[in-house]
Amino acid sequence: MSAIVVSKAHDAATRPAKRRRSGGGWKQIAVNQAFLLPLGAAFVFLVVIPLGQTFYWSLTDFTGYDPDASFIGLANYASILKDPSMLAGLGFTLLYAVATTAVITVLAISLAVQLNKVFAGRNFVRSVWFFPAVPSMAILGLVWRYIFSPLESGVINSVLAKLGIAPVGWLSDDGLARFAVVVVGVWAATGWHAVLYTAYLQSIPEEYYEVAKIDGASPRQQFFGITLPLLTPAIVISTFLLMTGGLKVFDLPYALTGGGPGFATQTITQSIIIAGVSQGRSGMASALAVLFTIAVAALTFGQLRLTRALERRLS
Amino acid sequence: MARQHPYLASGLALAMSFSLTACAGASDDNADGTTTLTFLSWVDEERFGPVVEAFEADHPEIDIEMTFTPPVNEYVQALQTQVLSGTAPDVFLIAAENKTNLIDGGHVVDLSGEDFVKNVEPFNLETYGRDGAYYGLSLASWAGGYVYNEDLLAEAGYDGVPETWDEFLRMCEKLKDAGITPFLEPADGIPFTMAAWLGAKTEGMDPTLDQQIFSGASSFEEEWTPLLEEYNRLFEDDVMTRDVVGLDGQMVLDEFTAGRLAVMPAGGWTVSSILEAAPEMSWSFAQIPGVDGREPYAAGAASPGYAINSASDQEHQEAAKVFLAWLASPEGTELIFEQTGDVTVTSDFEPQVDPHFEPLVDNIRSGRIYLPMIAWERSEDVLNVEAIAQLQRMVTGEITPRQMASALDAKLAAS
Repeated sequence: MSAIVVSKAHDAATRPAKRRRSGGGWKQIAVNQAFLLPLGAAFVFLVVIPLGQTFYWSLTDFTGYDPDASFIGLANYASILKDPSMLAGLGFTLLYAVATTAVITVLAISLAVQLNKVFAGRNFVRSVWFFPAVPSMAILGLVWRYIFSPLESGVINSVLAKLGIAPVGWLSDDGLARFAVVVVGVWAATGWHAVLYTAYLQSIPEEYYEVAKIDGASPRQQFFGITLPLLTPAIVISTFLLMTGGLKVFDLPYALTGGGPGFATQTITQSIIIAGVSQGRSGMASALAVLFTIAVAALTFGQLRLTRALERRLS
Repeated sequence: MARQHPYLASGLALAMSFSLTACAGASDDNADGTTTLTFLSWVDEERFGPVVEAFEADHPEIDIEMTFTPPVNEYVQALQTQVLSGTAPDVFLIAAENKTNLIDGGHVVDLSGEDFVKNVEPFNLETYGRDGAYYGLSLASWAGGYVYNEDLLAEAGYDGVPETWDEFLRMCEKLKDAGITPFLEPADGIPFTMAAWLGAKTEGMDPTLDQQIFSGASSFEEEWTPLLEEYNRLFEDDVMTRDVVGLDGQMVLDEFTAGRLAVMPAGGWTVSSILEAAPEMSWSFAQIPGVDGREPYAAGAASPGYAINSASDQEHQEAAKVFLAWLASPEGTELIFEQTGDVTVTSDFEPQVDPHFEPLVDNIRSGRIYLPMIAWERSEDVLNVEAIAQLQRMVTGEITPRQMASALDAKLAAS
């Protein structure tokens, strides 16, 4: 049985009925549109105007204390592009976003498939996996800082010591520190995304698998022929959330490594907050925010295009 | 039921959203003749509330409306927003992180002509001053030195921390030979050791070390490199692990209280933690050993100062001065010391600190303390963030001490 057949059958079963044309003419349409006004106003006041203001301030030497800032053109943008720490921050932010998105997606789908099976204590196990998503990332970062402590008394190093292995500088080596941040990010979010995938898995009709079994499909063929294609809407949502969340990550690396060693685990959001709040360089922080917004928009747009294409190919 | 206009709900919702933004607190003179003074504290109400209550009891004509925001970033951000929107309180704190912007923007009142600054240690006033003007009433300071485990040092034949860096390194080697971790100084900030050395160096300089660097007469590379090279001996001689890059103060404190560490840098805030976690331990504070023939010194800085909002009207500014004068009085400083544990620096009240911390009290009360970030003339946090990152790169062996100092020069030039 091919994936195409299954998908078409699924589409036929789940495709919504053609929306009926709403009656009432232009008056009803106007009334309906009026209910969008508060939302539209909120969007304008909370998103459009702040974005415009941010762009304006990015062209000034605004300190955050006095509104009468001087116009300095693109000087803030030039400073950012020349600053090695900013570029390092951009590099790690991209690494974190891509790595966590990829690893969590693979792990969460695998986990969801297992959690979707019937076994004793299933709900408890689901809760256990979901739990790391509950505490704030800042608290998790502080806890994991002790686990990854480079001292012999660190949790992991004390286990290694019992095995006769010398202490490892988890947070004092550039590569290991980046690895540690990604590991904690994956650990914290995998369960949450597995629950998301589980919800989608439960909507796949059991009949598809029964038909596939009758046709002699192996479990692997069932996964790649039925499960994965029908999970693509969930993959789109999950990867979108992971990518946007990863790009704006701040609390976890800040609590776990403080952005170090050096600038190894510094993120763009950390740079924006430090420049804008601690350093009174709100103009610079605004420029960074503008560049970051453009980068995030481009990346997420590209990702959506990619996942939509994948969705069309699989379905 | 009457038919309601369909646009009404939307319009009302929109109007409500606007009206909510108009809600803002403001203090006005009261009908009973008292003046309400607004005050943004970064010490919580539980600890600072009794101070305010005692003042109000002494001055019933002034009512203090205190709000609390925790330090440091949250406080700086909250105050920044209030200053920008013209809703800043009458009294707030000026700190290392915001002093340049507050002074440059003319947001704080000059206190230099007031009587209540006369009994305050000049070092504290000058920390939040410029060109002879004082913009913050800093009534306390903190100091950081070395805390040592007397029992572990005794195992290596020592009864205290040596006074010179060479002797200290020799002691560390002996401790290491005895199987004891000699010294851990986290690299999550500019080391107390470096701060103390820089303080000792600038003490004998006129113009000061930082005045020379910021005027262009000298540079970080010239002034810092020799000291950074001395500090780097800790790693080159394998006295201290390079893994300190991944440590913070709490981790090091845990090692110390567990009896696994002989010496650590610390300030007065660790006294209660050590007493609680290791009540049987024999320990004490010491100044940081001197280098290049200089005397031992201490890291440290003046605590944030109480500042008066220049945008407040004259009546509120006068009331604020009454409040500050009371805080600087013996009654006020005694209560501040009791409630916060901060070592105060006024000449007419002498705080009685825990005996363990006694070796650093003279440094605090005489202003013989130094912290680069607060001594720098501008771009304080920019340079501090850069210094920490470059220090970590130096500790891991990625760059040399000279390259670290040069990076600070480059950052200063670009900022």
